[in-house]
Amino acid sequence: MGRAGTWLTGWIAILACYYAGKALVIGLALPLPPALLGLLLLLAGLMLRSSSSRAVAQAASPLLKHMSVLFVPAVMGVGMYAAPIREYALSLFIAIVVTTAVSLGLTAWVTSRILASRLGKS
Amino acid sequence: MHALFDPLVHVVQNTLSIAGLLWLGVTLFVYAVAIRIHHAARATPALHPLLLTVVIVGAALWLSNTTIAEYQRVAGLLHWLLGPATVALALPMYNQWQRIRHHGWRLVVAIAAGGVIAPLLAWLTVWVVDAPVAMQLTMLLKSITTPLAMEATRLIGGIPALAAVFVIITGIVGAMVSGAVFRLVRVDDPHAQGIALGTVGHAVGTARALQLSEQTGAMATLGLCVNGIMTALVVPLLFA
Repeated sequence: MGRAGTWLTGWIAILACYYAGKALVIGLALPLPPALLGLLLLLAGLMLRSSSSRAVAQAASPLLKHMSVLFVPAVMGVGMYAAPIREYALSLFIAIVVTTAVSLGLTAWVTSRILASRLGKS
Repeated sequence: MHALFDPLVHVVQNTLSIAGLLWLGVTLFVYAVAIRIHHAARATPALHPLLLTVVIVGAALWLSNTTIAEYQRVAGLLHWLLGPATVALALPMYNQWQRIRHHGWRLVVAIAAGGVIAPLLAWLTVWVVDAPVAMQLTMLLKSITTPLAMEATRLIGGIPALAAVFVIITGIVGAMVSGAVFRLVRVDDPHAQGIALGTVGHAVGTARALQLSEQTGAMATLGLCVNGIMTALVVPLLFA
């Protein structure tokens, strides 16, 4: 199988999982993001057949590497929420800037405690 | 079956129009330039390619009298690709699997702790000022990777566009303050630093962690993946 064939196989696997996730969410009326279900299906598939990871990697790498550009249309939509953003500017600033810094410190500290408890035992 | 493939039909129709090809071309070109600028500035988090692209394309929309809704319609292909891209996140997750097995439940507990602390503090801040409920709900998803955050936000009645912005800025802030914060709390363990960066700062934090060391980057990827999946599973179940 050539490069193009591997790439195509990877894409088919990704799209199959994506639509299977969507079909499950619609069919069973699940309160879950469809793409998350697709992610879990693909993860299960990779674990069952690890040989398939090369094909998936070839299709997935450009998507993962340049995911940023895929958000452009969605982020552009923020322009429509200028008024509420201005109204709550201070609390949004605290929520996004200050609590992020605090959470980062707390998480690092908690993690180092949890991991240290393991080192202490061994 | 109809509902399943319906969006794709519209996406193809919109893309294959003059406006569609034009704005897709402009967006991709600007993004390519933004990546160059980001690299030239030594990957400074503040010059994230997404922010640069949004600002420049936004200016082009304004100059050409194009509405945001019109742009979102014709450039719908990019938005549609987010679905498959989210599914593709299974790959880095799969690559981290051995690491989870090696380090065991402690890492998952640590990530879960961060995954609860970050949204809780952010939500409290907008809750005390009685901000609109949609805005409060959106805050709950601010620390997980953008595609999962947007999908989960939509399910619980938040605002996906705001989620995308909150998430990106959270990542940028996390990456920028990480050095000072880690010194302040006196954590120099690369495992702990990586878990914190990935769990709280998702992909942008992970990019920063990769600059610190390979090990820090691997731990951050783990935090990004595990927290993204746990939060996107739990929050819709609790609030949808």
